[in-house]
Amino acid sequence: MRTTFWTAVALLGAFLVETALGRLLPTPGRLLDPFLLVVVYCAIVGGETHGMLAGAAAGWVQDAHFGGRILGIGAIAKLVVGFGVGYFAGRLLLGGTGVRALVILLASTADALLVQWLASVFDIEVTLPGPLALAARAAANAVVGGLFFALLERRARSITP
Amino acid sequence: MAFAVADRRRWPLLVGLILVHLAVISHQVDGGGGVSLLQGLVLRALLPFQLAIKGTVSGASELRRSLARLRGAYDENLRLAEEVRRLELLVQERSRQSQDAAGLRELLDLKPVLPLETVAADVLSREGVPFYRTLSIDKGTEDGVALDAAVLSPRGVLGRVIWSGPRSARVQTLLDRDSGAGVLIERTRTTGVVSGQVALSDAGSPDLVMKYVLEQADVVAGDLVVTSGLDRIYPKGLVVGRVRSVGKGAGLFKDIRVEPSAQFDSLEHVLVVLGRASEDAAGASAR
Repeated sequence: MRTTFWTAVALLGAFLVETALGRLLPTPGRLLDPFLLVVVYCAIVGGETHGMLAGAAAGWVQDAHFGGRILGIGAIAKLVVGFGVGYFAGRLLLGGTGVRALVILLASTADALLVQWLASVFDIEVTLPGPLALAARAAANAVVGGLFFALLERRARSITP
Repeated sequence: MAFAVADRRRWPLLVGLILVHLAVISHQVDGGGGVSLLQGLVLRALLPFQLAIKGTVSGASELRRSLARLRGAYDENLRLAEEVRRLELLVQERSRQSQDAAGLRELLDLKPVLPLETVAADVLSREGVPFYRTLSIDKGTEDGVALDAAVLSPRGVLGRVIWSGPRSARVQTLLDRDSGAGVLIERTRTTGVVSGQVALSDAGSPDLVMKYVLEQADVVAGDLVVTSGLDRIYPKGLVVGRVRSVGKGAGLFKDIRVEPSAQFDSLEHVLVVLGRASEDAAGASAR
């Protein structure tokens, strides 16, 4: 119950960050994906089930508020990404800021590719950002996420007796 | 761990969730999408938070702007006074022209081409993901905003409403690859359809593509592009943009790029057309 609550709070935070960025920047979605950071963090900390449920929830909120006419494409992509990250987090040691930033980079790329692939499968017209734009977005996610995860971890250590 | 599920159950859960999502997506694709119950619930639940963050950020931005404005207030005041004098003269001239036009319309027994009733709306959020060109506004069905209502800016057409809740709505801009608007070249009355580009990179131009214009058609760079009203969404005669380039396309059609008049990147307020565009189009056709 506590995990669900904090996941919901984190998703709400991501939503507010994305909305606030939209007021300050013309194209926030092309720069950063705070929902993905929440999904990756949940997956690393809570495992594949937590990751995929957080991914599905994040994807639906993102689709409903920022998506196109067809909903669920982003949700399914984040669901798979959440599961994938959680799966590997349970089997590999994903500690350290650099490694986690790399995980976010890969997750961000996988998420974008999944959305594009699913859109083509369902014959849904989506704008296809160029490889450079996707790489830049993944890198921005990795940097921001890596630093944010490090801050969270430091705070968690300071609280834990 | 709160989500501890036995190893053997995780994969079936993943597969089950994926199947449910695929079914939901398939249902929307078949049914046209845009008005799902789940979307409505999510949007309604999060609207208060979105309004709160909009108010906070707008307030902070306004404060920052106010402080900046104070610095050059005197010079700005002088410049504005001069501008007001110039505009007053312009208004008088426009007023005279408008009276002349009204007289001519009466003479020709024509009604005004675009008797549009609109409602002003604030932009709540825009473009949260890179795959769609949509934005949210703070007006919904309670304000008369209907599905497929045309959305305008002072400079030109922005897009149409693809979802409308009680107090908010989502707008698909013309930049979206899935969008489409019936247009015509004002000079030659050549018709076509504009939509977002096939592949937009971040560094690419935000031009629109005008499709289905035959090779023989007379279109040159600089031509004004306005809505044709034939799509029954956008009222006839609204400015969409200007032709930036004309090239040879694949097959029978020209490759025409249109520079949109609306400034999509700096939107804060929009106008939503109330009522049906089809009535205008039908009226225009009848005339």
